[in-house]
Amino acid sequence: MDRFLFAGGFKRRVLVVDDELINRELLGNMLGDHYEVVYAENGQEALGKLQGDESDISLILLDLLMPVMDGFTFIEKIQENEVLKRIPIIVMTSEKEAEVKSIKLGAADFITKPYDMPEVILARCERIIHLSEDNIIIRSTEKDHVTGLFTRDYFFEYIKRIEAHRKAPADVLVFNIDRFHLVNEMYGRTVGNTVLMRVADTLGEVLKDIAIIACRPEADTFYVYCDHIEDYSPLINEIQDKFINSSGSAKIRLRSGIYLNADAETDIEIRFDRAKTACDKIRGDFTASVSYYSKDLHLRSIYQERLIKDIDQAIENGDLKVYFQPKYDITDVKPKLRSAEALIRWVHPELGIVHPGDFIPLFESNGLIQKVDNYVWSKAAQQIKEWKEKFGRSISVSVNVSRIDIFDPALKEKLRKIIESNGLDEKELVLEITESAYADNAGSLTEVTNSLRESGFKIEMDDFGAGYSSLNMITTIPIDVLKLDMGFVRKMEEDDKNLKLVEIILDIAKFLDVPVVAEGVETKAQLDLLKCMGCQIIQGYYFSKPVPADEFEKFIVQENG
Amino acid sequence: MLTIDKLNEYGANTAEGVARCMGNEALYLRLASTVADQPEFAKLNDFIASGDLNSAFEAAHALKGVLANLSITPLYEKVCEITELLRARTDTDYSPLLSEIGSLKDELKRLIDSE
Repeated sequence: MDRFLFAGGFKRRVLVVDDELINRELLGNMLGDHYEVVYAENGQEALGKLQGDESDISLILLDLLMPVMDGFTFIEKIQENEVLKRIPIIVMTSEKEAEVKSIKLGAADFITKPYDMPEVILARCERIIHLSEDNIIIRSTEKDHVTGLFTRDYFFEYIKRIEAHRKAPADVLVFNIDRFHLVNEMYGRTVGNTVLMRVADTLGEVLKDIAIIACRPEADTFYVYCDHIEDYSPLINEIQDKFINSSGSAKIRLRSGIYLNADAETDIEIRFDRAKTACDKIRGDFTASVSYYSKDLHLRSIYQERLIKDIDQAIENGDLKVYFQPKYDITDVKPKLRSAEALIRWVHPELGIVHPGDFIPLFESNGLIQKVDNYVWSKAAQQIKEWKEKFGRSISVSVNVSRIDIFDPALKEKLRKIIESNGLDEKELVLEITESAYADNAGSLTEVTNSLRESGFKIEMDDFGAGYSSLNMITTIPIDVLKLDMGFVRKMEEDDKNLKLVEIILDIAKFLDVPVVAEGVETKAQLDLLKCMGCQIIQGYYFSKPVPADEFEKFIVQENG
Repeated sequence: MLTIDKLNEYGANTAEGVARCMGNEALYLRLASTVADQPEFAKLNDFIASGDLNSAFEAAHALKGVLANLSITPLYEKVCEITELLRARTDTDYSPLLSEIGSLKDELKRLIDSE
């Protein structure tokens, strides 16, 4: 590394300050092969050199007793200048007391007179320059320029050093700003940086009695390593209040994950990963601002790791099974089988049945959902083809299109291939998108759905009313079917308010001229109520739970029969 | 002209001096040749005569550094002696020491000027 730095004829500049020509010549002769040597006869002249054309000085060799301005005065002068004071100084003296005094004043080292042998002097110069440059590099890289907190690598390195001496229990804290990307998008990076600074300041203020070291490892994440305390709730509340006050917005929220009395035997980075797991668990959950890493969470994260590891094999071995749930048209007296929804089931050879709630959100968060979706699309398409051949009837099947699929530029091409290889018509594979995709990126979603519809695909808006539904969305996004979230169906019998809500949604659908599918219908009473309000299609246990393809066939046979 | 032999005879530790010049004899001899003309010799005499011991100390101290670096031992030893006395601002008769320094300097000057 050093050799590399010295390559290319690059020579660092050394300033020799001595009133005696003989001394200057001796030093110049020693250093000349390795450094570019600049001379000054006294402190005053040296100050001039530092501010002149040859100001890029790596080291100063300084005599103490000189006319005009002596060495001590020179050191004092340059200590006043933030930039100049970083240049290391080696004092040249024959006086023992002067050595102590100059080191105290800030000199990096001293050389005695008469001079040591040239090799010794060269080695000392080289070492001091090296130390000083390392120091400058560390100073400029160890801190995050936005918040002044440490950067990730230094943070972990310092903790390792701290823990070599410190044996007391410590807590590991992770903070993250919810929806920070919105701040940058809406207000620009400058405001975003201000928010980051406020977080750093707030954490510093509130945690000052316990915090040992803090860093900003990435974007909107903060790590704090603290002395162990039992109860963080008052501190977290204070941080939350201060942050909301200073950001002026309750929409930007700080959430935290805490690993209390973190196991010191575990690698420090893993300890922070664990606190981060706790922190991520409450992402988007506005009722909780802190989450603690626990044994359960630990087991859960191990379980999730396993699922991530096993998904490829599950697809390969057919452990991932596609089930079908029928949808019935209830506009006539006798319900008619209209279509089906493809749903995924995972029967793990060792873990048993893996609940979709355990793997779908997980895979949505890490992108693996694309693999699952692609698999389901293919299986569903094959099934449509098979039923067509077997029963001479087209049962369209709806499949899930996750958010990440929507932003995949190859989406249309992937779907087209599946349709083509099974000889289907686009409208037979119905695409279900969730309204939450709209909140993320309304523009892209509109563009993608438009383009898919132009190709002949039908779009179903899934889980309508489950999240932050927007009336704007359903008029902007071109859809073919609206799916009423099953939560409404469950609650509509509870009171008039919920019932009214369902009625309103059905009215909106009527206005938009799209049919509504009600999910989660379990009873005859629910069905009658929905039918009465104008709902056309019903899906739910009332007709059937999701079943394997061969079991589904009995519904087709019944109708045909 | 000054030579290594002449300086050795004079009592200088030329091996050390040349080593400090990274083995460059020519440089060593050139620098040693300027020693006798150092203005500090005259300053030392003048300041002591006028009773300015602070300035006299500075002159002696500067001389001492140069002589040490060139390892001109006989002169160096005497200049050391006077430097320490001056450092303590000792009230004493400096003339015997000054004259010894003067003779050693003149002797060096003769070596420089001789063939």
